[in-house]
Amino acid sequence: MSLPISSETAVAQGLPDGHPLLSRRHILRWGLAGGGALLLAACSTDNTETSSGSSTPAGSGGPKRGGTLNIGADADPIGLDPKTTAAFSSYDFLGLMYTGLLRWTADMTIEPDLAVSYDNPDDKTYIFHLRDGVKFHNGQDFTADDVKFTFDRIFDPATTNRLASTFATVKAVTVVDPKTVKFELKQADAAFLSYMATNPDGVIVPKGVSDLDNKPVGTGPFIFDSYNPNQDFTLKANPDYYEEGQPYLDTVVFKFFKDQSSLTSALRSKAIDMTWLKDPKVASQVAKTAPDLVSAPGQTSRTFPVWFGMTQKPLDDVKVRRALSLATDRAACVETVLAGSGKVGAMLPESQVGGYDGTSELPYYQRDVEAAKKLLAEAGHPDGIDLGDYVVVAANDLDVQCAQILQQQWSEAGIKVNLKPTETAPLLDAWAKGSYTALSVALSWSPDPDAIVQRLTSTNTYGEAMGMKDSQLDTMAVDARAELDVSKRAAAYQQIQERIADQAYVLQVYQYPLRWEMWWGYVKGYEALAANIRTFVRTTWLDK
Amino acid sequence: MRRVALVRLAWAVPILLGVSLVAFVLMRALPGDFAQAMAGTAAGVTPEFLDSIRADLGLNQPLWQQYFTWLGHALQGDLGTSFVTKRPVTGELFSRLLVTAELTLIAAVMAMLIGVTTGLVSARLRGRADWIIRGFNGLVVAVPNFVVATLIVLLAGLYLPSLGIFNYTPFATDPLANIGSMLLPALSLGLGVSVTISENTRAAVLEVSSQDYVMVAQAKGLRKRTILRNYLVKNALTPVITVTGLQVAALLGGSILIETIFTIPGMGQFLFDSVTSRDYPVVQGVVLITATVVVLVNVLVDIAYARVDARVSYE
Amino acid sequence: MSESSSARITLTSEQETAAAPAAAPASGPTKRRRRRSGGRGLLILGLVMLTVMTVVTVCGSWIAPYDPTKTSAESLSGPSSAHWLGTDSIGRDVLSRLIIGGRTTLLIALIAVALAVAAGLLLGLLSGYLGGVVDQIVMRALDVVFAFPVFLLAIAVVAALGPTVPNLILTIAIVYTPIMARVVRGPVLSVKRLDHVEAARSIGIREVTIVRRHVLPMVISPVLVETSLTLSHTIFTVTALSFLGLGPPPPDPNWGGMLSEARQFMEIAPLTVIGPAAAIVFATLTFIVLANGLREMLDVAGRS
Repeated sequence: MSLPISSETAVAQGLPDGHPLLSRRHILRWGLAGGGALLLAACSTDNTETSSGSSTPAGSGGPKRGGTLNIGADADPIGLDPKTTAAFSSYDFLGLMYTGLLRWTADMTIEPDLAVSYDNPDDKTYIFHLRDGVKFHNGQDFTADDVKFTFDRIFDPATTNRLASTFATVKAVTVVDPKTVKFELKQADAAFLSYMATNPDGVIVPKGVSDLDNKPVGTGPFIFDSYNPNQDFTLKANPDYYEEGQPYLDTVVFKFFKDQSSLTSALRSKAIDMTWLKDPKVASQVAKTAPDLVSAPGQTSRTFPVWFGMTQKPLDDVKVRRALSLATDRAACVETVLAGSGKVGAMLPESQVGGYDGTSELPYYQRDVEAAKKLLAEAGHPDGIDLGDYVVVAANDLDVQCAQILQQQWSEAGIKVNLKPTETAPLLDAWAKGSYTALSVALSWSPDPDAIVQRLTSTNTYGEAMGMKDSQLDTMAVDARAELDVSKRAAAYQQIQERIADQAYVLQVYQYPLRWEMWWGYVKGYEALAANIRTFVRTTWLDK
Repeated sequence: MRRVALVRLAWAVPILLGVSLVAFVLMRALPGDFAQAMAGTAAGVTPEFLDSIRADLGLNQPLWQQYFTWLGHALQGDLGTSFVTKRPVTGELFSRLLVTAELTLIAAVMAMLIGVTTGLVSARLRGRADWIIRGFNGLVVAVPNFVVATLIVLLAGLYLPSLGIFNYTPFATDPLANIGSMLLPALSLGLGVSVTISENTRAAVLEVSSQDYVMVAQAKGLRKRTILRNYLVKNALTPVITVTGLQVAALLGGSILIETIFTIPGMGQFLFDSVTSRDYPVVQGVVLITATVVVLVNVLVDIAYARVDARVSYE
Repeated sequence: MSESSSARITLTSEQETAAAPAAAPASGPTKRRRRRSGGRGLLILGLVMLTVMTVVTVCGSWIAPYDPTKTSAESLSGPSSAHWLGTDSIGRDVLSRLIIGGRTTLLIALIAVALAVAAGLLLGLLSGYLGGVVDQIVMRALDVVFAFPVFLLAIAVVAALGPTVPNLILTIAIVYTPIMARVVRGPVLSVKRLDHVEAARSIGIREVTIVRRHVLPMVISPVLVETSLTLSHTIFTVTALSFLGLGPPPPDPNWGGMLSEARQFMEIAPLTVIGPAAAIVFATLTFIVLANGLREMLDVAGRS
């Protein structure tokens, strides 16, 4: 088992400081997420071929045009307005219809998209130069006004937009001329570019167009065609798409299969050409039985944490939390639940800046049942302790499986929990309100590590609900977000993760790819992206 | 007779009102709401953001007001807008109802065909055939529909992996492929029902053939097949048809499981998804429509039974 | 009214697709006798199956080769001499889980049906015996419940209460009480007009005594049959709810949950599907056979 695009490759591909490309017209600074290297590169807008190309055919004579790609999806979108929906399930569809000023490459570096380049005269100012001749799906020209309109919508005081807190550091967006737009920030913010590159957070919507929920209008490679809930979602190629020759496909059809076994079966019968599976055990088995299938687990993007309610006894006591961490055999969980297709986890998955690679030793990570019992006794529980309910997402089989193993491991150290698989809505409610003792809800990929670390700060809704009161961690989080040097930033996040593990605010078990993508061999030019959207359908073609 | 029917129909109105109220209260009693379910673990989700979603959907109004607003619109045929798909529930529900109706219909037809055939064979041939069929029936009746469906999926997966059993095709796209994709789900749904029909057919045929008028007909020298057609089928199948009608409610209930397993976009799946995502208008709409169907079927069954009973007592 | 209620009994008892074959109306003493002897055979078979199930369930802890919740790294291994039915996705012994899994399922079904029978008897007796306004109120309230397909109602109630063993018991009791009430009410209505009951009342015997001496005995037979049938339906409901993820919480095994879990891995480990499927069928069959045996022995259809 190997995870093909590891952080090492990403670092290797990053260009070191002082690379010759720096002498181009603009001095550009592109943040590189992945291994903590800094990529300084001139933008090259017409480089449309995908880079590392693990699935690009060798010597098959270039992409063929036409055809329909059928993608198996396990969830319907909830709302198609990229600026108002918060539903993760909508992102796959939005990712093909909309584009932003920047985007992620396959190895999780940032490259220009609707922008051709940007200037960064000081830490708090970004001036984007926009692409010429781009049209929205309704024929409207794309200009700087649309960029301003998009952000005005986000900051409209009459509504509460989820992205308003994401872009909280943005002070002003100004149209310099139709092809130039200036962003001024309140303070230096390393996360800004990550959010701008993320679909749908940073995508641009057309000025003056309403009802995007039902009639999406974007600048992306595919145009909305039709949607039948629970059945299919159809997209047509955008003939005016701005990247030469793309997209190669005529049509993309998402077909909905609510459970993993029907999804697997549909893939086998070729009712769909590609999909992603949640369970690494199933995925590796499916891959083994069908050698024509391309199996691409991608970078780890999801961690499995146990959140602790620290507002009350007994988990307000760091000794009890450390005992839990010591009682946990993380490697055994990776082995049993993921069949080895994952790594020991910390707060950040490997695909993030500063993400934990699963090898270095963090405090209280080595299983030691005796030490755990001793800590419990010191905390005043010599005969063990009953923590009550441990809440997990009932719909996530892997989570429920892992929770059962944890329950058993903890009981060996005298810590009892009562498993309570819960529906997603009430679970999230409990999480937001802090009405839990132990609760597991996994975080899938976030545009920036700051989004994850924020949840443990005392000023955050979730952090406050948990009972976080660590002012030192608060400061560390603020400083890390403001650090523009990527390697220094990565180091800062390593320290943050060490502090979290030392205080055992959260018990992180393992990390693995949320989406284990699979497609038949005749699907070419596709790349799995750790950002968990399918932007590379734009370079996909069928060799049937 | 007509009066009874009218009274029962009149009762349907308060019953349905009661159903809509129960559905409303049950949904609101579920912990968590749509805003939470939709926002998930996305970054930047704050209590204020959740409140703004709730306000947009009118979920911040007092409960009684929400109920009466909904009821007022429902009486005019408007069941509101789905939180998830942002489309009117009425239209969406109608297309779902058609899919479930089709599935139920195919299942009912299959159950009728299997049930009546085996029942007739069982009653006519007696002996070993009777034993085999009744034994088979006795076993099949104990296999819940979701187990039948799971086993079908398993067998298909093991032996015919290229058979696209999850390839639901809308009727408008390709009617034949559509019916083809419905056959296996309909079989899992209808198999249990076929047993009831089979046993009823068998019992009814045996019962009727021992009646005096059939014996008289036989004595008059009428050919056996003619007797069967003229007397047996007409008289014996009346209760069988009634039983089939009764099973419609059972089929509707079973569709939740079958549609979920075979990923068919019908009412059952719609309902289950909507409970999970707390899509209140959809749940209330589906429950109301299903209840209406069940209540109407009940009324029809009552009337049919009254007729059957009248005939029996007259004789 | 009594015609319609008898029709309704059929409707509700056949509401799940796993319904019993409806018995034909009996006619003539010879047939009745023949049916009774057939009934005895069925009854004995049913009792044997019930005994097997009870023994396996009660002695499960001794019979089961492994701790059903003990996980191991050896996941989804096929059948072997160590694990006859193989292991599940987190390395637990499937056979042990099947044996122990019956305990939860049967416990829920038995207690829930006991509650439903008690509540149904009370409601049905009250409603049928008192008649008038009480009857109207009770019956119309039950009509509202009947307008929901049973399974749909169960999903909603479990989702609202949360899937724990006590809540599952409560849900199923709530869902099946109206059916029991209907089953009781029909015979009560006809019994209370019988001559000896009228006579008892005219000579001033207390109503409670009349109910106990004259009405209850007449109601017992249909209730017994219906109880057995309802047990088979509750097995369906419990396992189907668990199948949809609304069953008792892990790590304790239950058949419906095992079946649903195994679906993901069915191509890798088919036996993990077959095992729980067979167990569910066996339990359902037991109660159906019992119900039919009882029905024919007690000749319920002939009497009502």
